[in-house]
Amino acid sequence: MIQANNLKKYFGAVKAVDGVSFSAENGKITGLLGPNGAGKSTTLRMLYTAFKPDSGSATIDQFDITRQAESVRASIGVLTHGAGIYERLSARENVRYFGELHGLTGAALNKRIDQLADLLEMEDFIDRRAKGFSQGQKTKVALARALVHSPRNVLLDEPTNGLDVMATRGLRKVIQRLKDEGHCVLFSSHVMQEVAALCDQIVIISGGIVAANGTPDELRASTGKDNLEDAFVSAIGSEEGLV
Amino acid sequence: MQTNKISNLRGFWTILRKEILDNLRDRRTLTTMAVSIIVGPMLMFGFLWFAENTVKKETDLVNAKPIVLPVVGADKAPNLIAWLEQNNFEIVDPPENPEEAVKSGDERVVLEISDQYAEAFTQGTSAPLRLIHDSSVSGLEKIGFRTLQKTLLAYNSQIGAMRLMARGVNPEVVKPLQLNSSDVANPQARNAQILSMMPYLIVLFIMVGGMYLAIDTTAGEREKGSLEPLLTQPVARHTILLAKLGATIVFSALTLLLVLIGIGLAMEYAPIDMITLSIDAAKIVKTFIACLPFVFLGCAMMVLMASFTKSYKEAQSYLGMLMIVPSLPLMLLMMMSPQPSVSNMWIPSLSQGLIIIQTFKGETIDSSLIALSMAGSTLIAMLLTFIAIKLYQRERILG
Repeated sequence: MIQANNLKKYFGAVKAVDGVSFSAENGKITGLLGPNGAGKSTTLRMLYTAFKPDSGSATIDQFDITRQAESVRASIGVLTHGAGIYERLSARENVRYFGELHGLTGAALNKRIDQLADLLEMEDFIDRRAKGFSQGQKTKVALARALVHSPRNVLLDEPTNGLDVMATRGLRKVIQRLKDEGHCVLFSSHVMQEVAALCDQIVIISGGIVAANGTPDELRASTGKDNLEDAFVSAIGSEEGLV
Repeated sequence: MQTNKISNLRGFWTILRKEILDNLRDRRTLTTMAVSIIVGPMLMFGFLWFAENTVKKETDLVNAKPIVLPVVGADKAPNLIAWLEQNNFEIVDPPENPEEAVKSGDERVVLEISDQYAEAFTQGTSAPLRLIHDSSVSGLEKIGFRTLQKTLLAYNSQIGAMRLMARGVNPEVVKPLQLNSSDVANPQARNAQILSMMPYLIVLFIMVGGMYLAIDTTAGEREKGSLEPLLTQPVARHTILLAKLGATIVFSALTLLLVLIGIGLAMEYAPIDMITLSIDAAKIVKTFIACLPFVFLGCAMMVLMASFTKSYKEAQSYLGMLMIVPSLPLMLLMMMSPQPSVSNMWIPSLSQGLIIIQTFKGETIDSSLIALSMAGSTLIAMLLTFIAIKLYQRERILG
């Protein structure tokens, strides 16, 4: 359960995030949709405690993101923008490292890694060193790494970036499954179809503020458009930066 | 499975272990370490071998092979010529133009016995001789001239003494001074003079040993985009930084130990007669421990520097320049060769340099001065670490 209240973050004169509020429920997929540079990544970075908000607050499972940052980090799994993994470690070692940082050890950890390898179809390369992995393989490793401790809340920053069609479909399945298991999934994207296909709740961000927020039906109703994509464009006010 | 926060200590060990494993698989780190064990001692002993060879050649020249000496007018001074031949000079006919021959380098030295020599000698006045040489020539080529000068002076005082005795005068009358010198330097101390470059070598390899880790674990990790995921783990940022610093220290200290062992082994087995320095295990351990605070300091300095930089390349060039910093106090050490004292033993790098030299020499340093050196470096290292932690708290660390 993620709750953001009027989050603000300025970089000098640039108002990257200028008062974003929304909530993401457990057992639901919430999408942050917006054109490039709208403030999606900055919002997520504040939620996963890499940045401190200039003002406003947010809680994840009742933990405050500024005052209880470590507890917040213990209850989330994050796929950051540009999934950097360690090339000299194998895929399994990469995932194990983050598992250990969450306090998992031994057989339980290995079992969990095998589970994820199965779920994400990583068996072919799980024990290979990560140097030379394709973007899709890297993203899978990063995703496994984010999920290894079975976090209640999952934050994904543009997870389908650089993935081919098959890998994207695989990822959708995983996200769907996380929802079914009762996780709170929050992901950002600038791809309308992706958000439309997956999300229970859509938060449209543009220019650092929330332009619209609601279920797909609510969005269609509030904008008066039958088509969800038209509803997005109408909410943002332009098609620029969307795919 | 429930989400857990792990203790700082466990987080520290997990990150430390990963960094060590990761870097053991990095060829650059391993190459650096291999180079430090092999090239370090080789550099040093190559130099010593060269120095020894030069000295040996000089000694051989003086002792074994006769020095070829062209003499003008050899027939005018048969006794002097006999003396020279006794002293291992081979008298040969002079060239046409002696001065030109020396100038052009065909001959190094020519002795000219003047026509008045015989007459002056018999009358008991100073008999004129002329040595033709080129003072711009140096090194081994100069040996013939110096030896000839010495031999002639010996002949001079011998004849002088005989003349005085013939006139009933004690020759000591004209020797108001009796100069005796005794060299108290023990062989080990003389060796350490030659080995005064050891501090450079050791300090340099301490820095080099940790350099790749310092870069890879900070600037490198940011460049690869793995720093941000790491910072989203439930581990405090200062724990992450300390673990990375810890891994850097492990590799730096390991390099130091290998270099010391390399030097010790080379001293034991290298075929160099000139140095009889023995660096045993006890000396290695002592030096290693005394240098550990500097390992901490050097690594803290590099990690701090690397967290300023944006990329691997940038970090590499900055850290390359950083290598100069610890060699500055060592230059001071070279120039002034001070004795260890309270006024200089707190200075990092310089104090370790002194400890290295004194220990290898076989001389003891007051343990309170060693403690001062260790405390001084540790304090500065802790200050740098503190600044690095502060830098790590900034959002800009993510680049």
